[in-house]
Amino acid sequence: MSKYRMNRQSRMASLALMGVLISLVSPARADLNRLDDSTLSDISGQGGIYLSGDISINEDGGPIQNTYFGSCSDASKRCGARLAYQLKEGGGWMVLDDIRGKFSFEGLTLRVRKIDSGFGGDGALFNRDVLEIGLPNIVRYDSVTFKLATSSTARPTDPGFQQTDIFSVEMQGDVVLEGNLLVFPTGNP
Amino acid sequence: MTSSSSFLAKGPLLALLVPLSPLVQADLQSLDDSDMAGISGQSGITMELDLAATANSISYFDDGSGIHLDGFRIGAASDPNARAHQIYKIDILADASLNLDFLVQDRRIEFTDVHLDDNPSASMGGVFFDHDLDGNLRLSPGGALSSAGYTYDVNYQMTNGRLGYRTNGNEVFLDGISMDVSAPGMTLDVDGSTLVLASPSVTGSYRVDAIRYSNNPLNHGVSRDVTSGELLPSYGSLSGDFDLSSETRITAGGRFGDEGIRIDGSTTINSANFIYSDDGNSIALLGMTGASTINNLRLDVAPDWQGRQSLALTVDSISGNLDIQQVQLGGNGKNLGQINLDYLFADQTINGQAYTNAVYLQGGGNADAGNQGLRLAAQWSLANANVAYTEDGNRVVFSGLQSWGQGDLTVDVTRNEVRNGTQFYDGLRIGFEGVKGGYRINGLRVGDDDAPLQGGTELLLALGVFPSYDFEIDGQITLGAGGASGEGLTINSDIQITNGRAALVAAPYDEGSGEVSQKGLWATELNYDSHVRDMTVDVTDDGLAIIKGEAWGTMDIGNLRVGDKTDGGSFGRFVVQNYEKGSSMTISPGGAGNVCVGGSGADASSCAASGGMWEMRGDEGVTVGLKQVFARAVSDTKRNAFIWETHRHQGADGPENGTGTQLVLNDIYTSDGEDLDGDGVEDNTFGIQTDLSVDIYRTKVVKKGDGADANGVVGNRGDEKIMDDSTAAGYRYVASPTETEKADRPLGFAVQAHSRFKELSVNNIDLVHPTGGAATAIYGVKLQNMDIKANLTATPIQ
Repeated sequence: MSKYRMNRQSRMASLALMGVLISLVSPARADLNRLDDSTLSDISGQGGIYLSGDISINEDGGPIQNTYFGSCSDASKRCGARLAYQLKEGGGWMVLDDIRGKFSFEGLTLRVRKIDSGFGGDGALFNRDVLEIGLPNIVRYDSVTFKLATSSTARPTDPGFQQTDIFSVEMQGDVVLEGNLLVFPTGNP
Repeated sequence: MTSSSSFLAKGPLLALLVPLSPLVQADLQSLDDSDMAGISGQSGITMELDLAATANSISYFDDGSGIHLDGFRIGAASDPNARAHQIYKIDILADASLNLDFLVQDRRIEFTDVHLDDNPSASMGGVFFDHDLDGNLRLSPGGALSSAGYTYDVNYQMTNGRLGYRTNGNEVFLDGISMDVSAPGMTLDVDGSTLVLASPSVTGSYRVDAIRYSNNPLNHGVSRDVTSGELLPSYGSLSGDFDLSSETRITAGGRFGDEGIRIDGSTTINSANFIYSDDGNSIALLGMTGASTINNLRLDVAPDWQGRQSLALTVDSISGNLDIQQVQLGGNGKNLGQINLDYLFADQTINGQAYTNAVYLQGGGNADAGNQGLRLAAQWSLANANVAYTEDGNRVVFSGLQSWGQGDLTVDVTRNEVRNGTQFYDGLRIGFEGVKGGYRINGLRVGDDDAPLQGGTELLLALGVFPSYDFEIDGQITLGAGGASGEGLTINSDIQITNGRAALVAAPYDEGSGEVSQKGLWATELNYDSHVRDMTVDVTDDGLAIIKGEAWGTMDIGNLRVGDKTDGGSFGRFVVQNYEKGSSMTISPGGAGNVCVGGSGADASSCAASGGMWEMRGDEGVTVGLKQVFARAVSDTKRNAFIWETHRHQGADGPENGTGTQLVLNDIYTSDGEDLDGDGVEDNTFGIQTDLSVDIYRTKVVKKGDGADANGVVGNRGDEKIMDDSTAAGYRYVASPTETEKADRPLGFAVQAHSRFKELSVNNIDLVHPTGGAATAIYGVKLQNMDIKANLTATPIQ
């Protein structure tokens, strides 16, 4: 079992990386454009919302109390959430187990805007509406942990349950996410 | 409100006029000479009569078209063959005023049918009104405008009242009505060709013991079922008080043809309170004040826009405002906050189509429910409204609400049966037939009505309300009497929405320079088929409790568009199916209270020590508790599923659904993961439980980059936005705000959420190719033991 501790300050100078990620998971592939800093800096606009807050997962454990899941103060049990999925019919299960942690962010924005200027002249050529997700400058990870495992059954309480924990991950610290994620359709809907 | 005050004042007038009617067949007391001699101001005249009057039909004709009240009767309420007992005492007082004391006992006024000339077999249904009256009317010469008018002082007490509506043997009625009314100084004048009725003060109180429903045709205006002897089920009880003043102007002449009636009026609500109670727990609207003006309301017998003969009520405009100081919910008197609204119903043009405000009343109701029922061919046009919600002194205004539409509403009292091939349910059925309309909200204003327009209407999505919505509705909602226990509501509904266009994110439609194309993220070509069975609604000690029996539906979004709602780019088709059994929702007054944001701790010092921010969000606000129990699939329509389809074949009318590539999450369900009741099936009672506490609160907003923002306000990255009316933009940026400046942080919605579930499963995830068929990508997903807590603030962007 290995353990990976992440504490990084990464700066995304453009939208390209996130845009690529979106396009990889989406059949509706997005056209990508490089945005300058002034475009990315504003929180003002023609509407939308500004979100801040924190989200914690299984801070004090979950609702199941059985031989496998229990209180976080009980070292013999796991108190995090568990995700299992099966890629082959009748096969084993991939598992993310004992998922816990806390995320904090400040300044995630959401709005719809039209891009028809700027971007070194590309905006006028683009001339379309986009869903703009303004990324928070900092996302703080506080004791975010999970274990990657394989299991013989979906539930740890199923008969014949066997599980192998491959490695665990703990994330602590700040991740810098700057700029705007622009989401727009393209291709045949 | 004008009609209400007029009605209240007319009660005694009816009492006066009824014995003068030529239809009346009454036993009259003979008067001797000494009675007749006393009219100079001493002993007066006393008339005691037992009254039973019937008329086969009473008709009103307008430009040759008639509306007919059939089966008209005045008599005893307790016995259809008996007479109502009435005593009238008339005196001429020393100041030449006429004093009438009246006492009415056990009287019912009713008619069994209302029909129009063009369709005698279609009836609007019957109405009955039972009452005892004890009151006084004093009539003095001289009105408000001239000596030719009259002044009335009215006081009366009504008890043992019932007001009911009956169709096809089923009834809904207000039972046990009691009311005290005092209306001194009412005046009646003729101003040119206009009759002016002024009521400077109408005060009183009322109580309705129960709102009852009967599905037994043998019952008519009785509290107990005549067959079983049991009390009829009740929706709940009502009570309240009022202090009104009004002026009503009545002129001859309708909107169609030469004849008809014109009414103009204004009403001021000086104070009012309204309480709905369910088994002793209440929804109370307290401290209401307001005003309303009706401009050019016309009453005609005339055809609607489809040529159907109707009793037509058409109006140029209705405007007003209503302020509610407290909205209390539940048994402990806790307050949701304050609500203020202003409104203007007036003609407007939307998308090139003109809309007005009109209701055309017709007989028949739903075609399968029987020949009695009410059909309202309606057009509505809400040109502008603003709705403000204030809690703990913080105010958010939903600004620029507009709505429009037209279609048929049907109203029937129905019973649980299949009739003419249609399933009906016990209760008051409201049907929608070809109702095509919409609404939109321009934006939010925080603080006060004059604050700058901001975005953020998408925050309403948390309450299941789209910021903008065009729709065509067919279907029905039946409101049955009786909740989960005792009084309350039971709802069965089937709603079909077609050709919908709903905004998930919406920019303003008017930013101050006239109407513009409203940008947003839109669910278009939306068809939504929704069904609810045996959903109960009760007011409990904690608040409002809604328990769904069985609910299923399919929301088919033909295109998810960004930008314009008609031609914006599409992300493809999305289908969301839901099938729930035993889901519930509770709405409770009071928000999150004291919260440690970003840290942990039970008080300010321990919260600060953990790095958190201690927020005292007050006593008001709202908390919503949700339990969603996703049942396992039993059919293609009763299942929980999600489908995303793209690359559809382009037909003549756009992309054709079902011809593209699909991602399918099939049979999503919750489970308790164990079989505690031993029935051989895993229990599914825990579901996904979510508690949401919502407050309006000052929120921290930081600038995300150096320099000037879009409004030209300069600041550095990380500076806080502080509201400041002395600046042109209404705000400035501050590097390190003082405690005083923190009190001027922008207002937003603060949401404390806690969601948990034992198991959430997806049976399979398929990729479907239009020719290759379905291929399973994932053979099962199981998410267990999840508990998520969140503190979020959502602030409109200015």
